[in-house]
Amino acid sequence: MEMDNKTDLIDESEKAAARRCMETAIRLGASQVRISLNKSETDSFTLLNGELDKVTRSADRSIFMHLFTDGRYGTFSTNVFEGKSLDGFVSQALSTVRMLAPDPYRRLPDPDRTAKDAVTGTETGLYDATYRDTDEKMKLGAALSGSLFRQGKCVRGDGYEVISEECEYSDGCDDNYTIDSQGFEGRHIETSFAYCSEITITDSKGDRYSGYWWDSSPERDGMDIISCADTALLKAIRQIGPRRHKSGPETMVVDRSVSSRLVAPLFSALNAMSLQQKSSFLPDSLGEKVFSDGLTIMDMARTYGKPGSRLYDSEGVATAEVPVISGGVVREYFVNTHMAGKTGMKPTIEGVSRPVLLPFNGMSVPCGSAVLDSEEKEITLRDILKGCGSGIYVCGFNGGNCNPVTGDFSYGIEGFVFSGGEITSPVREMLITGNMKRLWNSLLAAGTDARACTRWQMPTLAFQNVDFSA
Amino acid sequence: MTEKYYLDTFSVTIRQMEDLISAALSRGGDFADIYFEYTTGSDLLLRDGEVASGGFNIDYGAGIRVLKGEKTGYAYSEDTGMRNMLSAARAAAMIAEGSSGHGHAGTRRGKTGQNMTARTEAQPLSAESLYPMQMEWRQTEASAFLPFLKSLGEKIGAMDSRVAKVTARLSYGQSDIMMFNSLGELTCDTRPLGSVTASVIFTSGGRSENKTVSRSFRTGAEMITDALAEEMAREAVSGIDERFEARRPKGGQMPVVMGAGASGILLHEAMGHAFEADFNRKGQSIFSGRMGERICASGIDIVDDGTIPANRGTCRYDDEGIPGQKTWMVKDGVLNSYLHDRISAAWFGVSPTGNGRRESFRFNPIPRMRATYMENGSASPEDIISSVRKGIYVDEFSNGQVKIGEGDFTFYVKSGRLIEDGRLTMPVKDINIIGNGPQALADMTAVGNDLKIDNGTWTCGKEQSAAVSCGIPTVLIKSLTVGGE
Repeated sequence: MEMDNKTDLIDESEKAAARRCMETAIRLGASQVRISLNKSETDSFTLLNGELDKVTRSADRSIFMHLFTDGRYGTFSTNVFEGKSLDGFVSQALSTVRMLAPDPYRRLPDPDRTAKDAVTGTETGLYDATYRDTDEKMKLGAALSGSLFRQGKCVRGDGYEVISEECEYSDGCDDNYTIDSQGFEGRHIETSFAYCSEITITDSKGDRYSGYWWDSSPERDGMDIISCADTALLKAIRQIGPRRHKSGPETMVVDRSVSSRLVAPLFSALNAMSLQQKSSFLPDSLGEKVFSDGLTIMDMARTYGKPGSRLYDSEGVATAEVPVISGGVVREYFVNTHMAGKTGMKPTIEGVSRPVLLPFNGMSVPCGSAVLDSEEKEITLRDILKGCGSGIYVCGFNGGNCNPVTGDFSYGIEGFVFSGGEITSPVREMLITGNMKRLWNSLLAAGTDARACTRWQMPTLAFQNVDFSA
Repeated sequence: MTEKYYLDTFSVTIRQMEDLISAALSRGGDFADIYFEYTTGSDLLLRDGEVASGGFNIDYGAGIRVLKGEKTGYAYSEDTGMRNMLSAARAAAMIAEGSSGHGHAGTRRGKTGQNMTARTEAQPLSAESLYPMQMEWRQTEASAFLPFLKSLGEKIGAMDSRVAKVTARLSYGQSDIMMFNSLGELTCDTRPLGSVTASVIFTSGGRSENKTVSRSFRTGAEMITDALAEEMAREAVSGIDERFEARRPKGGQMPVVMGAGASGILLHEAMGHAFEADFNRKGQSIFSGRMGERICASGIDIVDDGTIPANRGTCRYDDEGIPGQKTWMVKDGVLNSYLHDRISAAWFGVSPTGNGRRESFRFNPIPRMRATYMENGSASPEDIISSVRKGIYVDEFSNGQVKIGEGDFTFYVKSGRLIEDGRLTMPVKDINIIGNGPQALADMTAVGNDLKIDNGTWTCGKEQSAAVSCGIPTVLIKSLTVGGE
C-alpha cells in the first residue's frame, strides 16, 4: 500500500502504535481486537465586529480499542501513545474486560462484509490537497473577507442596527486508520473548510434579533464565504416585528436548513439497538408501508466527493447505496454485528451515512407556471410555498424533543406566516406538536434544494394539518 | 495531593512553566496561562440483566492561552514534553501579533487595555468539604460496582410488572488539574465525578412508555450504595400509572406552575445563559446594559453557586484558577451580577466570579454556569397550585434551549398535570413549553418555600459540554405558551 506523504496525518509511528496495541492484546489472551486510530487537526480564526478575536489551533489523536476476550467485550481509549504506557493500557483493559459478564454475540464482523477498497483514505474524494498549502495568512485573509465590517458594508439600515457580528473561518483534516485482528485495514481521510456568521441586530424599539448562516466544503474553493454574513443579516432583519399567530392546524413548510431535525427520529427508530431495547416507535416495520407514498430516502454512502460519504462504518463493514425508506415502505434496519447476533436479524451497517430524501409533489394545486409533476423538475422553496398556498414556514427549531418510544414530539419553532404563496410576517414563541408516524404520513412535498454542504441531503419539506400552538 | 504530585504527573517544573509563559507572551500578549489535565474515566453498562459492556478512557494534555485585551489565542498539546508545549505556546501567542496587525472596524469597542489580571477576594474552600472522597475512584476496581448495577436493575424489575427493559449506566472518573499563569499563580485540584443513569421501558396493553432517572455527585466511590439503588429504583417506577393515562393538553397560553427541583431548567435556559458575561460583553444578550435594573418582583433571588458540597456543578476553582463562589445574579428582584471569566471581569471592571470553565484542556475557558437555583420564597406549594383556576403543573423535563438575543427559551416536559379549579387533574406528557426570559421573570407571581436542588446528570452544551445542576422552589408563571393539540 502506497500513501501520498502529503496526504497523511497519521504517520508510520502512530500506525505502529496501533498495531502494537493489537498485537499486545492478542499476546495477552484477547480473542479478537479492533483498533481505530483517529487523528485530526483544526485551525480557526474568529472575528468580532471585524477584528480578530480568537485564534485556536487543535491537534488530537487517540486510539480506540475494542477488545473481545473470553466471550466478553469492552471499549477503551487513550491519547497517550508512548510505548510503555500503551502496554499498560492494554493490560489494564484486558483485566477490566475479564470482570464483565459474557455476551456470546460480541464479535468482529464477518471478514467478507468488511470494506476492501479503503486503501489510501482518499477514495471517497473528500481530501483537498491544497489544504497543506493554506498558510496562516491565507486563513486570516479568508476570515476577514467574510465580515460585513471588513467588506465595508453598511451596518445600519432602515429600522435596524448591527450590534454584534461574529464570524469564523476554520479548516481541518481528519484521518482514520482502522485495523482488526481478522486482517481488516481501512483508511478514511477528509478535509473540511467552513465559514459561519452570526449577526445580532437591534430594531428601533431596542428589541434584539439574531441570524446565523454557514457554508462548508471538503474543498478550499468549494464554499461561498462572502454570502454568509449577508444571509445571516437578512435572516435577522426578517424577524423584526414578530406577531402572535393563532393556534390550530396549519400547513407547515420546513426550510431545507433545518428539515433534518424531523428526519433524525426516523433513523434512531430504525436502529436495531433501539428496536431490541423496545425504544423505537417503528417495531416490526421492515417491509411495511408506514409512511406517505411520497417518502423515499436513499443512503448514498459512496457518492464521490460528497460530504458524508464513507466506504466503511465503525466496524469496518463496507457501506452500500441502499434504500432506507422507499415509497413509504421501510426497507432497511441498521443492524450491527452484535445486534444481528442478539436479534437474529441480518446484519447491515451500523447507521446511515449520507441519506438523500428524494423529491415529491403531493400538492394538488399547480403553482404558477411550475407544474410539479416530475422528479426531473426542480422543486424550489418558492414552488412549495405557492403550491401550499398558506400556512407557516418554519426556518428554525428552538428546543423540543421526540419521545423515542412513542414517536410523540413537540418542538419550539420560529419562522413566518405565508399566504397566497408569499411570506407575510414573522412569528415566534410557537410550538408544533404531533406524532412522527402521522407527520410523515401527511407529507405534501419534498423539494430538490438540499444544501450541497450537508452530510444529510434534506430538502425543503411540506406537511399538512400540523398542530401549532401559540 | 501535594504540589509535587501534580508536577510529577505532568512531568514539568515551575521553571519550565515560566519558560512556556515567556514564550506565550513573546509576541506582546497581556496574560497567559497553562492548563494541565489528566483525566481517567470509566463506564459500565447494564443491559438485558447483565453488565456485559464497559471500558475506560485516558485523556492527558495541556492547553496554553494568551490574552491580548479581550482577544484569545489558544493551542494545546497532548503530551507535556517541552518541545510540543513550546510549539503550542507560540501558536497561541499569534493572537497578539494578529490583533495588532489588523485595525478595528467594529461599532462597539471593549475596554481593551484594562487590567486582564483581576484578582478576586474569594478564598477557596477545602477539597475535603467540596469534593468529599473517602474511596478514590482510581483506587477502586470496576468489579466492585457490578453488584450495584445488577441490584439496581433487579430492584426496578421487581417493583413494577410492566417493566420490559432496564438500561443502567455508571460513569465515573477523576481529573487532576494544574494551572499556572503569568501572575505566577499555581493552582492544583483533583475533581471526582460519579454518575448513575437508569432508563426503563414499560409496556402495557400494547403500549410502551419510558422513564429515565439519574444521580450525579462530585464525590468518591462511596456514593455507590444499596440505598442509592433503592432510591433510584423507587423513582424510576413512580408515576408510571399516570404516564400511561397521560394525554396532551390543548395547547396555548396559560399559567404554568413549575414543581420544585428539576424546574430549575427554567433558570438555566431563560435567565442563566443571558446572564453569562461574554454574551453581555458582546451586546448579544437581552440583558445587556441592564445591570442594576429591576427585572422581576422584589424578594426573588437567583443564584449561581460553585460551593455546594458534592454537587455536580461545584467548582473548588474554576478553570482559570479563580476560587469557586456563590454569585447572586438577581438579588431582591434586581439584576446584580453577570457570570464572569477573567476576560469579561476585566472588561466590566469587576472581580471574576469563578465561572471561567472549560470542557477539557482542548478548550479555552468561557463563562459557564455551575449550580443555578432560586432561593426560597414564602408561599406553600399547595397554595400556589390552588391559586390557579386553569393551567398546567410540570415537574419532569429534558432538553432546553435559549436564543440569547431574543431571550426566547424552550424546554421539553416529560410529565405534569393539568390544573383545574386549583386541583391537579389529568396527567400530561411530551409537550414543549416556550416563553421569553425577561417576560417570564416579570410574570413570576409566586415563589414557594420548598427549594430543591436536582441532582440529575445535567449537562450544558454552550460551545463545550459542562457538568451543571439546577434547582428551584415551586413557582407560578402567569403565562407561558404550552404545546398541545
